[in-house]
Amino acid sequence: MKPKLIIGIVSIVLFTSLLMYNFGNSISSYVNFEQAADRANSHVIGTWDNTQDYGFSRETMQFSFHMKDQDGNVRRVVYPRPKPNNFEQATQLVVVGELRNNVFHANDMLMKCPSKYNDGSELVNAQES
Amino acid sequence: MVSTLGQLFLSGAFIASIAAMISYAISVVKDDIKIEKISHYLWYAKGTFLLISSVALIWLIMTHQFQYYYVWNYTSLDLETQYLFSAFYGGQEGSFMLWILCSFVVGLGLIKWTRKPYKGPVMFVMTLTQFFLLSMVVGWDLNFTQIGATPFRTIAQEMPNAPFIQANPDFVPADGSGLNDLLKSPWMMIHPPIIFVGFAMMTVPFAFAIASLWTKTYHEWIRPALPWTLAANLSLLTAIFLGGYWAYETLSFGGYWAWDPVENASLVPWLIGTAGIHAMIIQRKSSRAHKASLFFAILAYVSIVYQTFLTRSGVLADQSVHSFVDLGLYGQLLMFISVMALMGIGFYLYRYRELPSPEKESKFLSKEFMTFTGSMLLFILGVVIIFGTSSPIIGRLFVENPTPPEIQFYNDWSMPIAIIMAIATVIGQHLFWQKHSWESLAGKLVTPLLLTSIAAVLSIILGEVRNVYYMLFIFAAWFTVMGNASVLFSLIRKNPKLTGGSLTHVGFGALLLGVIASSVYTEPLLDQRTSSYNARVVAGEVYDEEGFPITQPIEMFQLDINKPKLINNKYMVTYEGYEVADSPRPGQQTYRIKFEPIDGSRTFYMDPEVYPMLTTSSMDNIDWSVDPHVRTGWFSDIYLYVAGSRYVERKNQELEREKRSRSLVPVADEEEEIQTIEIQQGETIEAGPFTFTFQSFVPAQPEHLPENTQIGIRSLIRVAHAASGNAYEVEPLFAVYTENEQSYTYSPPLMIENWGMSISFSRIHPETDSIELTIDGLDLNYEEDWILIVAEKKPFVSVVWLGTFLLMAGFSISIMRHWSREKNTEEKR
Repeated sequence: MKPKLIIGIVSIVLFTSLLMYNFGNSISSYVNFEQAADRANSHVIGTWDNTQDYGFSRETMQFSFHMKDQDGNVRRVVYPRPKPNNFEQATQLVVVGELRNNVFHANDMLMKCPSKYNDGSELVNAQES
Repeated sequence: MVSTLGQLFLSGAFIASIAAMISYAISVVKDDIKIEKISHYLWYAKGTFLLISSVALIWLIMTHQFQYYYVWNYTSLDLETQYLFSAFYGGQEGSFMLWILCSFVVGLGLIKWTRKPYKGPVMFVMTLTQFFLLSMVVGWDLNFTQIGATPFRTIAQEMPNAPFIQANPDFVPADGSGLNDLLKSPWMMIHPPIIFVGFAMMTVPFAFAIASLWTKTYHEWIRPALPWTLAANLSLLTAIFLGGYWAYETLSFGGYWAWDPVENASLVPWLIGTAGIHAMIIQRKSSRAHKASLFFAILAYVSIVYQTFLTRSGVLADQSVHSFVDLGLYGQLLMFISVMALMGIGFYLYRYRELPSPEKESKFLSKEFMTFTGSMLLFILGVVIIFGTSSPIIGRLFVENPTPPEIQFYNDWSMPIAIIMAIATVIGQHLFWQKHSWESLAGKLVTPLLLTSIAAVLSIILGEVRNVYYMLFIFAAWFTVMGNASVLFSLIRKNPKLTGGSLTHVGFGALLLGVIASSVYTEPLLDQRTSSYNARVVAGEVYDEEGFPITQPIEMFQLDINKPKLINNKYMVTYEGYEVADSPRPGQQTYRIKFEPIDGSRTFYMDPEVYPMLTTSSMDNIDWSVDPHVRTGWFSDIYLYVAGSRYVERKNQELEREKRSRSLVPVADEEEEIQTIEIQQGETIEAGPFTFTFQSFVPAQPEHLPENTQIGIRSLIRVAHAASGNAYEVEPLFAVYTENEQSYTYSPPLMIENWGMSISFSRIHPETDSIELTIDGLDLNYEEDWILIVAEKKPFVSVVWLGTFLLMAGFSISIMRHWSREKNTEEKR
């Protein structure tokens, strides 16, 4: 075999394994609140628990609410930014951050909004108004 | 009627595309020029049919035919004409149609300019892609399966089970649900057409590559393909720039780039296309890298189809804020990407052994090696980004329920790749125009290196760069600028038409400088209290009520009206109030914030806006959206938005109250807010934080009075809020008139919008020489106006744009050069 081919193959293998390794490390699984307790950075999917108080406090400059994860665990979540747009309508929330002492400190938050395309509920509203 | 016509022509276009595809295939196999001519006519027919169909759709939109789902879903009565027009491609279906229209025009160019033996096969590939794209919108219902989703479907067809459709199948909504406010921007009007022009043009190198494999002519195809690829890249770059600029100006994430999957999806085809351009240029100049040019030409288009699949199939729905809604096209899109990838890569592998390969290897210090390195690096970067973006698919190999990769993943890979690229561009550009040994190259690079060192050291000192990695990056970026600029200057003297390449590389260097400055050295603008709090958070000195250290810094601050605050030891910032207006967006507030630099330079104002997003708001909930203000400067931008305000808080509370009063269980009502005060002329009465002064009587104009008025008079009342120093003067009217011999009083209330207060002049007491004012909505706990501000100072965003413009200019010069060369060869024949 030509030495160039060997170098080529070795570098491709090296590159691919490095990429795989690095990629594998930079992604993680979505977890529930219980699993999040022993991790540094977790992504938790859940829904807003609207039975409890929520809102932005100008004293702590935090938005806080309760979230129920997919396995039914409820935790308080604090988020150091104002209440995001669409918060109340979101059918699903993803919070990214750290659980400390049963309070989830979110650094990032994603909202999945209801698909206005399937049930026509919005159409009914439009009709009423 | 119009819709039937539109649908008919849409089906016609689909059938014409199938016919054209078959006919082009036969013309190639039989090598028959007559059949090729017929195929061209089928191509024209396809385009014309689709054009008619698009006009029909635009007609439905312009005439507000809300019984059609597409029209209802993306437009509304109040939408301005230009946005009505752009709503044509605002949804999935219309954007496919726009893509096909752009491809049609590109096809016209190909029919006119492409020579034998490529014309037939190239057009065959074009029609094949048209077949797939048209199948997404044709909306044929073949009992066992549905092909595509047509924009001409009615609401009843879309939601047959919705209760209001069951009750009334002919239901037509009175108004549409409207275009998302964020998309009402001129940038967003031109962004999609430019992107689809780019997509359509990027099909051309793919088609040429397939044609080259088909006809086994591996040398000539790049000549006609190169200008198309360059033009496709210019379009994509422009579209990416527009998207980034729009995101920066409109959204609240505070930047032009966020490694969002949809952004990545547009970047990857550009990177691979650029890799292809490099490979094609080596092939042109040195008759090498045939394999690479073919490979990248195929891959650039496959990556476009792949990104279409990712963003439109719903795969990314959880990960991106702006992926499309799933239209049930998953299967069709999967088929599209599979056929394109299998055809391209399969054909490539099938012919691989026949492809020409160079007889001897390139030297390390040669233009071929350096350009090829650049090409490979661009490709590798593309692969890395595809990897990250595909995490919902590829991530499953590693973990269940994969999350998107951290942003760090992209930065970790793109930074070192960019550094190597930066150095390769300089060496490559010098070698491109002149052969060099190490010695002669070193001689050429002395001056650029010297300049680079000065510029890099200055940037590092002035920018207070502490991180060694960033220092290296800054050095490499400056080296790209200086090294390529020296090539640029020597070329300008010789022949300015050749400067395309060096100009793009200078632009690339500038882009790197702008990116590092604006992303790493962005600093939040904060008041002193917040920044010292954040310093304590960083030092780990702040604990929450349970004794755990707080790790999240606060990145916003509050401003009370007319109370200046010192921000970043640089500006005295004062909130001066807001205005509510109904134009261009109903209910939008414009906040006025004064910045006085303490070094004495000129005072300026920032006017961020907040508005209710009507498309997603309901009776119970207003969805407030922010519109940041960006103040652009040569050295730095100030980016600022209002994250909260008293006005918004009050509106929300009002809504909450209304909601409760509407609900079935009656809630104990709030205390009555109506008050009356008796006041004499010249007297001032305090009520909570307000003072009311009755200044004088003012005569009322007869046209404001009811008929048969006996008395009609106005009173001039000054209402002041002591704490904020705000005051308003109102002149409520009082009148007594007779009707059917009965006396009535007429005292219409006047509203002070900002205080939610209305005042009416309800009675005159002649005996005490005083009047009675009735005040509704007097809030005894009234607080001063305040806002929450999120602001950032971003250095050298201007350089990011400068770099992008230089890239665009360089691409344009190259397009002209390669195009005119291509035309010349044509004329010689």
